[in-house]
Amino acid sequence: MRRTLLVALLLSLPNAARAQVQRLAGRVPEPARTQVAALVDSATAAGVPGDPLVNKALEGASKGADGARIVAAVRSLAARLRDARAALGASASEAELVAGAAALRAGATPAFLARLRRESPREPLVLPLAVMADLVARGVPADTAAGSVLALVRAGVRDADLVAFRQDVERDIALGAAGGAAAAVRTSATTSLNAPGLTNLPGTGTTPTPPAPRKP
Amino acid sequence: MRDDSDDPLIGRIAAELRHPVPARPDFEARVMAAVRAGPPSVPARAWTWLSEPRAVAVSPLSALALAAGVGALVIAGIWSASRSTRPGGAAGVAIEPVAAAAPSVVTFVLVDPRARSVALAGDFDGWDRSHLAMRRGASGLWTVDVPLAPGRYRYAFVVDGRRFVADPTAPPAVDDDFGQPTSVVTVSGARAAGGAL
Repeated sequence: MRRTLLVALLLSLPNAARAQVQRLAGRVPEPARTQVAALVDSATAAGVPGDPLVNKALEGASKGADGARIVAAVRSLAARLRDARAALGASASEAELVAGAAALRAGATPAFLARLRRESPREPLVLPLAVMADLVARGVPADTAAGSVLALVRAGVRDADLVAFRQDVERDIALGAAGGAAAAVRTSATTSLNAPGLTNLPGTGTTPTPPAPRKP
Repeated sequence: MRDDSDDPLIGRIAAELRHPVPARPDFEARVMAAVRAGPPSVPARAWTWLSEPRAVAVSPLSALALAAGVGALVIAGIWSASRSTRPGGAAGVAIEPVAAAAPSVVTFVLVDPRARSVALAGDFDGWDRSHLAMRRGASGLWTVDVPLAPGRYRYAFVVDGRRFVADPTAPPAVDDDFGQPTSVVTVSGARAAGGAL
């Protein structure tokens, strides 16, 4: 019965989605495989990429997780990918959605993702979103990490500067600094270098200081 | 023409200079002792030459060239120091490439002299525990090059076919769902300058 259901599901999928689900064969046990295939089907119908969902299932299988845990993880990721799609817009790339889902998992709000998109409508947001999640993983509070990334994007920092910023914060934390303090100090230093006048952090109770008006 | 010897001011100065200068009683004895001691040794003369202030004549062009050389050395030193303080360099596990919109080749590195085999598993290869076997180098250095398109990828090293090991220099994955060590690498997109985490 389950095999019939899976075959019917596979036949109903577009070619790309079918290829994704077929990657589960021999790796993910039944009935988890059928359930994951159904989740991929509904996700792709909603404009959410299926590849990250299949990867999540394969990760669980590779790490020896049971079927129920695999399905729960895939379902949770599908929900975050949908939220990321809604916040980042229809033009968001798959890589941005994956990074956005990670940021949401780290504690970012959909409003943060949407604001990041408004601040940088034409630039890829993969790295800012990934840096936000990585900072949280290193011990920076989620609201501070989100505020830092937003301030850096508003200041127009390049991806290389974001990478250096994250490494600086990691080093400070490794040397004993508190995560929030390290991120705040490094953000202030980086934004003051890139955009004089934008030295305060959104999300930390202060507002950006506008540049002083130029004399004629 | 006026004769200076008739000037009363010059006359007073000359008279003052002609007064005998009183010397300390042991002056003559100290002079003779110094004469008998002979010339100072080479190290003593070298120290005297080095420590005594002296005027050095340098042309403006030479001074500018010297200043430019010193400035270049300082800038080179600062640049070298800033590079050496970045983690993930020669001693790191994940080498960070400069990425652009096109796929970048990322070199994954693990140091484990006791491992019999190491593979790389991650989002980029369907978490296959044997697909991306790493090459063993000197001193237990395991490496593998993987071309990655811009994006965020989760991965782990699989040691001896069963043990998952996180990359010690990469950020841990905040979205690990299965209780195993997982790391993250992010390859930059097409922003103004590339970078990978």
